[in-house]
Amino acid sequence: MNPNYEKSTIELPDSWRAKAPILLSAGLILLCIGFLCAFGGTSTAEDNSQGFRYLCHSYLANFVYVFSFTLGALFFILVQFVTRAGWSTSIRRVAEILMMMIPYLALLFVPIIAMLFAGSSALYEWNAKDIHNSVIASKATFYLSKEFFTLRTALYFTYWILTANWFFRISRAQDESGDAELSLLRQKWSGPLIMLFSLSVSFAAFDWLMSIDADWYSTIFGVYLFSGSMVSFFAVMIVINMLLQNAGKLKKLVTVEHFHDMGKFLFGFVMFWSYIAFSQLVLIWYANIPEETFWYQVRLDNGWKVFSYCIIPIHFIIPFLFLMSRHIRRNRTALTIGAVWLLFAHWYDMTFLVMPNAGPLQLIPLFGHLLGGIGMLSIFASMFIWRADGVPLVAMRDPRLPEAMSYTNPIL
Amino acid sequence: MSEHKPRKTTEKKVPKAFGWMAEYQDENGLLAAARKVRDSGYTKTDAFTPFPVHGIDEALGIKPTILPFIVLCAGLTGLFIALLMQWWMNGVDYKYIISGKPFGITPASIPVAFELTVLFSAFTTFLGMIALNQLPKFSNPVFTNPRFDRATNDRFFLYVEATDKYYNRESVKELLGGTHPDSLDEVLEDTTPSTLPRPIILGALLLVIAGLIPGMIILNIRAGDSTSPRFHVFFDMDFQPKKKAQQTTTIFADGRTMRPQVKGTIGRGQLDEQDPFYLGYDPSKLTAIDTLETGKFVSLQDPKPAASTPPLVATPDPQVASANGAAQGPASVAPVLNLPWIDKLPIEVDDANMALGKQKFETYCSACHGYAGFGDGLVHKRADSLAQGYWLPPTSIHIDRVRTQPVGQIFNTITKGQGKMAAYASSLSPKERWAIVLYVRALQKSRNADMSEVPVDMVKTLDEVK
Repeated sequence: MNPNYEKSTIELPDSWRAKAPILLSAGLILLCIGFLCAFGGTSTAEDNSQGFRYLCHSYLANFVYVFSFTLGALFFILVQFVTRAGWSTSIRRVAEILMMMIPYLALLFVPIIAMLFAGSSALYEWNAKDIHNSVIASKATFYLSKEFFTLRTALYFTYWILTANWFFRISRAQDESGDAELSLLRQKWSGPLIMLFSLSVSFAAFDWLMSIDADWYSTIFGVYLFSGSMVSFFAVMIVINMLLQNAGKLKKLVTVEHFHDMGKFLFGFVMFWSYIAFSQLVLIWYANIPEETFWYQVRLDNGWKVFSYCIIPIHFIIPFLFLMSRHIRRNRTALTIGAVWLLFAHWYDMTFLVMPNAGPLQLIPLFGHLLGGIGMLSIFASMFIWRADGVPLVAMRDPRLPEAMSYTNPIL
Repeated sequence: MSEHKPRKTTEKKVPKAFGWMAEYQDENGLLAAARKVRDSGYTKTDAFTPFPVHGIDEALGIKPTILPFIVLCAGLTGLFIALLMQWWMNGVDYKYIISGKPFGITPASIPVAFELTVLFSAFTTFLGMIALNQLPKFSNPVFTNPRFDRATNDRFFLYVEATDKYYNRESVKELLGGTHPDSLDEVLEDTTPSTLPRPIILGALLLVIAGLIPGMIILNIRAGDSTSPRFHVFFDMDFQPKKKAQQTTTIFADGRTMRPQVKGTIGRGQLDEQDPFYLGYDPSKLTAIDTLETGKFVSLQDPKPAASTPPLVATPDPQVASANGAAQGPASVAPVLNLPWIDKLPIEVDDANMALGKQKFETYCSACHGYAGFGDGLVHKRADSLAQGYWLPPTSIHIDRVRTQPVGQIFNTITKGQGKMAAYASSLSPKERWAIVLYVRALQKSRNADMSEVPVDMVKTLDEVK
């Protein structure tokens, strides 16, 4: 019960604090430039509606992109307690900080709600005053009304924030007391909460992303978003731990074994994402009924064809082959390259899900959308620094910390 | 086994030594000793523990196995075999349209490719693990030491084999002795006799012989004849309290089990062969027409003669054969069936029947014949676009041959099918078939009516449509 590390290695690097405001302003500037590109690339002098449409879609895609990191973090924390995992104790606090960013990110959802109440149907067709599509019209009467949509979104955020806060508060209390009972308490409640989590993510995916195409439905869509969230979460974890170690932090606490394990999860969830994405495709392709296939048709028309096909190598074949080797996963630099690649792949996936609905593929607005994605990442980084400031970067007195520090992978 | 004496007691030799085995109380002692032995350069070592010990691989200096690479190769082999197989089967060797999907490799091939990849990988992992571990191994010299039994319970053992190239009996003993083991023993050859005891051999022989018996009984039965009834091991429904067709009974005065039809009743399905409503022609008028033609028709439609038809001309007639051949394809002229077709629809001509006919026509007929009956339905368009060369277009209902047919003959075509068209008697009731005939007549009329036949109040609407 006497973990061997220096206290100074579990604090946020001093140099990072100063960077937070810079990152935030850089992110905001990038977002604005991105919006200008989206606007300028699509609008004509007489009609601005297409530009606004592009802007809304781009914002939603980039928001869900960074938000999915925190969803993955919340799930990761829940799963660690469901499975009573010991190996992850030394990396758990970083994930806890990530999950505690949900309240911050909830603020970024406010513009979307505001847009709904301003009466715009640029993003969600079901919010229009007169809906021409009879299928959407039948759904828009009750379920897809702006009031109920807002209520559901508020419910999801309430559940996520309360759960994250509860876990974080107990984790911090354990930093003081080292009481093993606090671990047992979290184990006890993680089971029911993880079931609620799966429901909340599924419905959030249906509401936020799937209802862009309100006359299309895919029951696996929530799992699809979840699998992408897990990929991006582990990628973010690897990058953050790598950066912290480069700044001289968490040495001895986070070993190559933990990187290896996060790499395994990353690899596994890449496979899982592909499995889910393909499951959705093959059923729709095989049944070949118009009310389902048009979703893919939208992604193959209007210049999106090459873009859409490229998701197969970008999100599956290349990372799958790259991360397959144990030597890559145990090499921190190589693993970080893989993680950065998958962060890009997840952005690509979110773009694939949302942007074809905004209109034809045009290079300048797409570039603006990419700038917006980088801007969102930058804002996310500044939020992380503020949230992590003053919090120990490891669960100091968790009874399982020594187990995590001496943990090794067997040699295959 | 204990009273079974070794037979070669005279040649008692010194048991061969296989190496040294040290015993430890916990995994830390084992790990420290293993590291020491590893650092001294020994590679032919092994550890035996009651549970998996973290870090033992590294402490023993075990090299990573090549199994993952073998599995990768096997998985890729499975992947390519699956893709090649499906490309060959559905793209080259046996092109077959399955729900309009393309030939060769499609998204539907991926699950099979995935399964074969997993199957090959899993088998290779399992069998490769067995092979690389040189399993199954029924005996190991370490078993000779009675202390070794505790390796499955609470003790940890380290074993240095004599086959190691640096092995020296005394220096290994010294090395292991310096790691503070609980015990240190030389692993000796198992000197207990390795021949099987005689009762076991006899028992196995008896089992083998007994195992042959069922096979021999089956062979005997299959080779021979028997006139006695089979064994009723399970009765199932072999014996039932009921009468069969040609048996007698005491229940009825005439002693017949089969009962004659009661006067004034109609059996179920009896009208199907007598009533024009079910046939499309009047069977009572059959005798009035040419028996040769009737015979042709009946032999075309039905292998067994209908009860009401006159005796058939049984001689094989070349004309019948040609009529048969012609009936196979609608492209050639269908045989003119000179049957007493009925001309008048046996159902009411009203809106309800017309609506029924329209609905059924659009459900069953329009896929091939098209909604307006021109023979341009979706099936035809799709088959035509594939341009396979053997597609015969569906008949248009607006050609003269169909327009001049009596309603009974159209009904007959729907009932029994023609050429490639299937019979619809099992899908549509007679009333529905007549309703379709009614609708077909209406469609034909719609293409061949003049202005005087249009009701006065509809003329205006017609002009608007124009």
